Amino acid sequence: MDGKIATTPVELSAKPAKRRTARHFRQEAITGWLFVLPWIIGFTAFTLGPMLFSLYTSFTDYNIIRAPSWIGLENYREIFFTDQFFWISLRNTFWMVLVKTPIVLALSLGLAVLLNMDLPGSRLFRTIIYLPTVLSGVAAIFLWEWMLEPNGLVNSGLELIGIRGPAWLSDATWTKPAFVIMGLWYIGVNVIIYLASLRGIDKSLYEAAEIDGANGWTKNRYITIPLLTPTTFFLVITGIIGTFQIFTSAYIITTDPSIQTLGGSEHSLLFYVLYLYKCSFGQNACSGRLEMGYGSALAWILFVIIMLITVIQLGLAKRWVHYESDR
Amino acid sequence: MNYRKYLLTLLLAPLLLVGSVGVSQSSSDAGAPLDPSVSGDVEFWHFWGSPVRRTAVRRVVALCEAELPNVNVTEVFKPWGDIWTANIAAVAAGSGMPDVIVADRNQLPREAAEGIYENLSGMSGVDGVDSDGFWEFTWNQSMHDGDPYGIPFETDVRVLFYNKTLFEAAGLDPENPPATWEELEAAADAIDQVEANGNLERIGFSPLIGNGPPNIWALNNGHNWLNDDGEPVVNDPAVVETGEWIKSWVDRYGGYANLQRFTQSFGAPPNDHFMSGAVAMKVDTAGYASVLNFYRPRMQLDGNAVEIDWGVAPIPAESADETTSDSGGFTLSIPAGADNQAAAWEFIKCATNPSAQTSWARDTFAIPNGPASANAPELMADPNWAFYIDAIEAVPGDNSTFVPAYPAWQNEINNRWESVWSGDMSVEEALQQAQQAIDSEIANQ
Repeated sequence: MDGKIATTPVELSAKPAKRRTARHFRQEAITGWLFVLPWIIGFTAFTLGPMLFSLYTSFTDYNIIRAPSWIGLENYREIFFTDQFFWISLRNTFWMVLVKTPIVLALSLGLAVLLNMDLPGSRLFRTIIYLPTVLSGVAAIFLWEWMLEPNGLVNSGLELIGIRGPAWLSDATWTKPAFVIMGLWYIGVNVIIYLASLRGIDKSLYEAAEIDGANGWTKNRYITIPLLTPTTFFLVITGIIGTFQIFTSAYIITTDPSIQTLGGSEHSLLFYVLYLYKCSFGQNACSGRLEMGYGSALAWILFVIIMLITVIQLGLAKRWVHYESDR
Repeated sequence: MNYRKYLLTLLLAPLLLVGSVGVSQSSSDAGAPLDPSVSGDVEFWHFWGSPVRRTAVRRVVALCEAELPNVNVTEVFKPWGDIWTANIAAVAAGSGMPDVIVADRNQLPREAAEGIYENLSGMSGVDGVDSDGFWEFTWNQSMHDGDPYGIPFETDVRVLFYNKTLFEAAGLDPENPPATWEELEAAADAIDQVEANGNLERIGFSPLIGNGPPNIWALNNGHNWLNDDGEPVVNDPAVVETGEWIKSWVDRYGGYANLQRFTQSFGAPPNDHFMSGAVAMKVDTAGYASVLNFYRPRMQLDGNAVEIDWGVAPIPAESADETTSDSGGFTLSIPAGADNQAAAWEFIKCATNPSAQTSWARDTFAIPNGPASANAPELMADPNWAFYIDAIEAVPGDNSTFVPAYPAWQNEINNRWESVWSGDMSVEEALQQAQQAIDSEIANQ
């Protein structure tokens, strides 16, 4: 485009050219808007609209079938002051966020560094590590349920090294650690993202460091890790948001007619979104009715929590995230 | 359908009407009269995906399609739990719901109040479908505000299954199962095999294994969950005693964690506790018999694989004359706003009539919805069938524990039992807390 403007004959006065450019920009803007229009329509109809509707229903008594009736802040009052399961589910969810996120990140980075060394068989391992992400989540959860049985594969393995493994999914002490182990199965995406960033680091930086006498660890400490911080930052944010929304595995493992305690053993797997869902769809939680209004209020509280944490993260990012382009 | 058939139907319709009036007199034996002229497509959602049950569903559909030549039924399997969520979403959206759905009678009055299902009183009134011919409790459980919101389809009854082979091996009389709590403990004493390190090799019985929740033991201790005003009574000496009795079983087997580890080591049939010979007695629904017949399980006994010889008995009660059972089950209901309600109603009448019910029960060992089909000779051919029917006849007609002001009141106890079993809370404490929580929730309504 620039080229075209440059070749415009000199005799044309500046004025029409300017007008043409303005028109051109306007046209470009229209084209641009047209391109994003499908997304805007979709976002408004399927995300923003329902979100605003749920904000409204959070102030109502709403069973999804009958029209909502306004009750003001009653749902929020009940959540904060009388609902013990709100606090239990929040505690369980924070536990997962605080424990799982760092473990997942450290392991993903470690695997990515190993894969980046181009050792023999690294292509095969790259495939193997990514494979679970491709598999159906529900089928994999059933598989884990079997593996984590008291006499399952995991405990049989532990027995070989003389450890009597716990009843992972029914002993409240071990249910959440079991979920962390299950979560590690899905780190393939993180590993690939790390690996791509590692490949993007300029080799000359390492060469320069080697000339200055840096060894393997110092190179990692002063080149690799700082240059990966934008990636780490992205993975921390998405990882935390994802963990806050943990649902499928907990739903499958605790929705068994033989489990009478809400959220499994001692409520240890009652995660926030699971609780929200069970209240909303009358699945034997809350009053037992369809509490869609109450569920909406729970959802908005989660939204605010995640929003706050993300804003704090963005604030802290200035201190530790290093963008190459900023220099 | 061609013109001539229409004409024939038109001519026959008055005759059928006259006929149906005559038939309705004996509706308890033949079921409600069907109207074969009704036509339409019926989408039918159920959650019965196992090989035994899916086939049973298809047989009922085939039977009804033969009786209703103009009705085309499509049976759709949806997993337990999801089936109702999907239906609620469809009813809320006003489209996409099935024409007929299997509804849980425990939830039905609440769901009816919420507007999820159609009130069937108009259609049932015209066809003379009423409590006649159904077990009393199945009909009562399907009502909301005096109107039916579903027609009972299947029901179940809980009984004690016991392993005769293990009884014999332990020197007990296999034809004389325990009838009281005391006898149950004595039988377990003879059967239990616990290793020195507390590892459970084989146990006689655990109230926490099988399909007999704590509330059924409270019933067998003479407790009524609802008082005369229809309010839940939880903190009651009979429930305290029952809770302590169950806790004594947990303690007998080395505490809750140890028992859980044992419980979790077994899977679904044929690898469950009973079929593996690891638990000699358990409470389950009569339908478990169909699974036992299907797998003919073998267990290890003194190094040999032997086929398990099993029997059924009434659930042991605190004192022998108190034994009772409990029963829930399902209805066929029409989701609010469904498309083909006339055809749906014809299919419901057909699927709940004695011939379809007998077919269903023969396949699944579920108890049919009333005496006419339950006493069918092809069902009575099973040696234990008459026993199941005796058990179902002992279920009180008003066994519903539904409380409109707090439908999920039982959660207040269920969510606390675990703390009792693991010793974190005393039975009295748990029941006191539960009662308080229930009372305050009801008072807030």
